[in-house]
Amino acid sequence: MTPDHDKSKAERLAERAALAPRGPSEMPYLRAIPQPTPWPILAAFGLTFIFAGLVTNWMVSVVGAAFALVGLIGWFREVFPHENVEAIPVADCEAVLPPPVFEPRPAKSPRNVVPEEIHPYQSGFKGAVAGAIAMAVVAAGWGLIDEGSFWMPINLLAGTVLPSVGDATLEQLRLFNGGWFATAVAVHVCLSLAVGMVFVVSLPMMPRRPLLAGGLIAPIIWTGIAWATMRVVNPTLEEYISWPWFLGSQIAFGIACAAVISRTTKIRLQVGRSFESRMGFEQTEGDSS
Amino acid sequence: MQWAISVDHKKLAMMYIGAGLIFFLVGGIEAAFMRLQLAQAGNEIVDPATFNQLFTMHGTTMVFLVGMPILLGFGNYLIPLMVGARDMAFPRLNAFGFWLFIFGGLLLYFSYVGADGLYGAGTAPDVGWFAYAPLTSRTFSRGNSTDYWILGILVSGFGSMTTAINFIATILCMRCPGMKLMRMPMIAWMMLVVAFLVLVAIPILTAAQSMLLFDRTLGAHFFDPETQGSAILWQHLFWFFGHPEVYILILPAFGFVSEIMPTFSRKVIFGYPLMVAATVGIGFISLGVWAHHMFVVGLGPVLDSFFGATTFLISVPTGIKIFNWLGTMWGGRLQFTTPMLFVTGFVAMFVIGGLTGIMLATVPMDWQLSDSYFVVGHFHYVLFGGTVFGIFGALFYWFPKATGRMLNERLGKWTFWLLFIGFTLTFMPMHVSGALGMPRRIYTYEVDRGWEIWNLISSIGVPVQMAGVAIFLWNVVRSLRKGEVAGDDPWDAWTLEWSTTSPPPDWNFDRIPTCTSARPLWDRKHPEDPDAHYE
Amino acid sequence: MTALNATTSNVPLTAPLSRAKVGMASLIFMESAFFSAFLVTYLYYIGKSPDGPQPLDCLELNMVLINSVCLLSSSITVVLAVRSLARGAMGAFRIWLAVTILLGLEFLLGTGYEWWGLIEDKGLTIQSNAFGTNFYSLVGFHAFHVLVGLVLLIGVFILSLFGCINPARDHQRVDVATWYWHFVDVVWILVFTLVYIVGRVPQGAAA
Repeated sequence: MTPDHDKSKAERLAERAALAPRGPSEMPYLRAIPQPTPWPILAAFGLTFIFAGLVTNWMVSVVGAAFALVGLIGWFREVFPHENVEAIPVADCEAVLPPPVFEPRPAKSPRNVVPEEIHPYQSGFKGAVAGAIAMAVVAAGWGLIDEGSFWMPINLLAGTVLPSVGDATLEQLRLFNGGWFATAVAVHVCLSLAVGMVFVVSLPMMPRRPLLAGGLIAPIIWTGIAWATMRVVNPTLEEYISWPWFLGSQIAFGIACAAVISRTTKIRLQVGRSFESRMGFEQTEGDSS
Repeated sequence: MQWAISVDHKKLAMMYIGAGLIFFLVGGIEAAFMRLQLAQAGNEIVDPATFNQLFTMHGTTMVFLVGMPILLGFGNYLIPLMVGARDMAFPRLNAFGFWLFIFGGLLLYFSYVGADGLYGAGTAPDVGWFAYAPLTSRTFSRGNSTDYWILGILVSGFGSMTTAINFIATILCMRCPGMKLMRMPMIAWMMLVVAFLVLVAIPILTAAQSMLLFDRTLGAHFFDPETQGSAILWQHLFWFFGHPEVYILILPAFGFVSEIMPTFSRKVIFGYPLMVAATVGIGFISLGVWAHHMFVVGLGPVLDSFFGATTFLISVPTGIKIFNWLGTMWGGRLQFTTPMLFVTGFVAMFVIGGLTGIMLATVPMDWQLSDSYFVVGHFHYVLFGGTVFGIFGALFYWFPKATGRMLNERLGKWTFWLLFIGFTLTFMPMHVSGALGMPRRIYTYEVDRGWEIWNLISSIGVPVQMAGVAIFLWNVVRSLRKGEVAGDDPWDAWTLEWSTTSPPPDWNFDRIPTCTSARPLWDRKHPEDPDAHYE
Repeated sequence: MTALNATTSNVPLTAPLSRAKVGMASLIFMESAFFSAFLVTYLYYIGKSPDGPQPLDCLELNMVLINSVCLLSSSITVVLAVRSLARGAMGAFRIWLAVTILLGLEFLLGTGYEWWGLIEDKGLTIQSNAFGTNFYSLVGFHAFHVLVGLVLLIGVFILSLFGCINPARDHQRVDVATWYWHFVDVVWILVFTLVYIVGRVPQGAAA
């Protein structure tokens, strides 16, 4: 570091005072610091002894009171009529000392705001469609292979919002039901779109590898949450579900959706600017959009 | 002598922090004895009476003689430097407050020799740090050790209150030109709210302790149920103090994180106005949550639900802070220096402590877990993983400013990892043993409860933490003598304390600085792109 | 090396808050918290003393009304004293301050007399019952704060007798010191209401 660290503080200050350019005098706020004084510690000591006397001997309290009184009077004389202060030993307070030296460091303004970039919302839509199809294929595969019915997963999904599904027998669950089908499709579309939009915003924030984050980590976390809450959300599904297949369908969705979204070029987000300028009410410097 | 009569806020602050660290060692040794005793079932290292004294003194020490003084000490050091003042508003009152804290602490510890014990020996208070009635009545607490507890805390409480008045006056009246309220460093905001909480909470404790003192010495009937008093009233009064106290202990640590994290993320704090609002919100809501310590008292469903709800509510501003810190780190160029490690650890540990807090705010859950080791685990995650980690981060961050020398980074990282691992070893298993039904404050337990392994792990963590603290102390001693010279601004920070020399002169600034933005030092270092443009 | 930001030195300095005022306001805020604990406790214990002396039997209004009038009017006289000081009229300042101190003394002595009567005639002590405990604690703490305020005022009075009070220099300080006296008065209004009005309501009505 700097070689002058073995000089005393006073020497360094004197050095800096000598270097100081004499600028226009600026009114310092306060020109003095209070002088050291023994009275506060004496008063504190006395006050403590007043209380200590309660558990020892009343004479202790008397001594404490005397100390406290002397301390308070001394303290009062310290601030009245004038505060007892020590002038600051900088040459007259008028000397303008140079500011401390800061090593020049490469600096980016600490104002970068993230996420700076997102994928276009359109790609979220496309990704949602891709994911929805991929998920439907896996789910249908489960229905056909494990349960022997294409309609089974669809009816179970409808159970998320329709309590009546809970009363159905296994036979009814395996058969086509128009109302349930429409509900299931609606649920599937809504959820897929929502997740797609979340991916649009969140994938650029993930450290590198969007496929890993969107296609594997997110489905695993999501399956974990579903596993913990399914009993409440959809008891019917809980009864028949196969968790490996469930995880598989989530991963299928995640990979398809993330793959579609991450292939698009990101667009810069215009955050960190005021609402007016983002709305175009104000022309700001360097605003090319 | 020069230190005893000093009214300089920096000297007082260093004495605050130094005294707090000494009490930290004392309280830590008390805890170590407890963990030693509990390491195995049926241990007889300390007898039950001593164990009661150990946990009482450990709790009282850590809250009143470690947490408060160290945080008030940091406030003392940083507030004038950060708002650009020469000293506190009332420098002599500041010294008075400090010495009251010291003498109060000594009075409390004098009970070890001075209180009426058996055969003329001393005896420390043994009623627990929250001293529930009627255990504290003359009938059940013989001798005067409880009176020592009352008076020691009373005196140091006076100190805290005077310091709080000083903080408020300094922050409101001593700011340098241009330092608007919304340009103040986060620490100043946190300390303002803390001072407000001190002024609300500590007088309530003082009042409750006066009542208890009247009960014990004059035969009054405030808290003794046998003579028309109400033991529940003590709980209400104590926790009306006690819960804001928790925020008094954690808010300054929030402040440390909010200063250290931006510096080492090379990004400004995320959501400053929201952070301020959340702080003020926490300040107010924390006055209305106290009875969540009392769910098992049987307050009735209405009060239970109300206090459960307010407790959930306070997690909202707290959550805002957590997300703001994450937002600060996000996309930043992170530098994992020791202070940054500690504050990152703080956020992680505090989230765990906060989540278990939400579990405990759920009334039925609390009925199951109250007064178990789960609670012990919970509040140590908040106060050790939170406050103490914050304090260590702050020590590493501002040590160069206070002494002019850097603390050694390699030793610092050892300290962090040892503390982190030791802390997790000690306190994580407590959640399990608590869930398995182990009550707090028992001096030993039977073999067949399934608690042995968890207690053993807890106890194993203690020497790990002690090693971390020992390395830290060695680091301080070594760095004071031959640490790397820090320079005025070693971390390339943006707040005013770094604009003066290290250590700062007695008068803090050669000229009172002016302030054009929330990051005045950035503006001075980068006049070509001042932060003021972004405000 | 960067230049000092000379551009900002001409920012007008707005007058900062007076630290004495902020400090005194904080002190009063803190004392309010302290008294609120005792007031709430008193409220909680109203009507919860099944045996021993009862408020209705013990507390008589005539004496305490005289005390209250004295204490409350002392708030007015102390304002007059401060106004005189601000005008520079030291004679009037001393007289009004002396009147304030006498009124405060009357309050303390009156309270002492009342307590003496309660202890001797009615047998009400701090040990009697919850009412006695709360009554003596609350009124006693208030009286103690009156005493502190009185010492403060007497100190100012003595200083003024020795000519140490300079109107131009000190009237702000004296003004801030009298805030405390006003605070003590306000607390008395609350204590009076609680102890002598709410607390004396017959048991059936209070429950």
